[in-house]
Amino acid sequence: MVKAAISALRSFHEGWLAVTVENPSRVSEPEPARPPMDDVSRAWVAGLTTSGPAHEGCVTALHGLLLRVARHEVARRSGSLRVQGRELEDIAQQATDDSLMAIRSKIASFRGDSRFTTWAYRFVMFEVSTKMGRHFWRDHRATLDEDAWEQMPDLRSSSPDQHSVHRELFAALRRAIDQDLTALQRRVFVAIALNEVPMDAFARELGTSRNAIYKTLFDARRKLRASLSAAGYQPPFSAVGSQ
Amino acid sequence: MSELPSMDSLLAADSVDAGCAAGFEALHRYVEEELAGGQPAVAHPGLAAHLASCPACRADYLGLVEATEIFGEAGPSTT
Repeated sequence: MVKAAISALRSFHEGWLAVTVENPSRVSEPEPARPPMDDVSRAWVAGLTTSGPAHEGCVTALHGLLLRVARHEVARRSGSLRVQGRELEDIAQQATDDSLMAIRSKIASFRGDSRFTTWAYRFVMFEVSTKMGRHFWRDHRATLDEDAWEQMPDLRSSSPDQHSVHRELFAALRRAIDQDLTALQRRVFVAIALNEVPMDAFARELGTSRNAIYKTLFDARRKLRASLSAAGYQPPFSAVGSQ
Repeated sequence: MSELPSMDSLLAADSVDAGCAAGFEALHRYVEEELAGGQPAVAHPGLAAHLASCPACRADYLGLVEATEIFGEAGPSTT
């Protein structure tokens, strides 16, 4: 049943993404007035779009820079995974190679609305996230904890009177998760929202994209908010029981 | 596992949320505006809403802010 739902998710979200691309006004932010491209960015673009030794030198310089950025980012995120040493370096190298490839293929779309480096480092962040997600499941094969909300600060920090009200709220949430979400929405919500599974790791597990997982999570959240509203609970939920 | 966020953030679903793909397309402008002391959430409300509720894109955003601060000035002849 879940497999069928995942298959349906893939086809639905391919369509959703196509709509996003074809109709950017539906979701995209407004384009700001574009300042002239700064000299350093212009030098990067010139080097990447020319040919010969100047191009090769620019690509080599960019690879070295992206590798430093990737190593820094991998180290920044390494606390969330039990990965170290050679594996971290491998992740940084792979993220560098793939982000360089993405940058070279998309350089024509760089319009100078930020520094070139800021535009380019986005690809490093995305590739590092994706590649670190591959390592997540190796150490996290344990079953997901469906009672994870016992650790919610709302519940733990509340007074005894609030505690009782919050218990009822959480019971309503649990009923909504069990009864109102689809199997896939439930799986995504429990993994991402309750168990903090990295979205890229979960996307890889399901063979889909981060965007598709987020859309499912978003729909699940909206459904749960509607269910709680129907049960008499209105946001902000942190204020429930405190009046 | 670390302590969970509040229930409000757990159920955050802002109708202006831009989503991951559209957010990625504007992330570099958002970060530069923030580092310049601006208020990117005003010009990019959809991305601001998204960063508040998408853990993956928020991690990318935090990494991009840090990388831009440290490595943002690099040019092809200075690396």
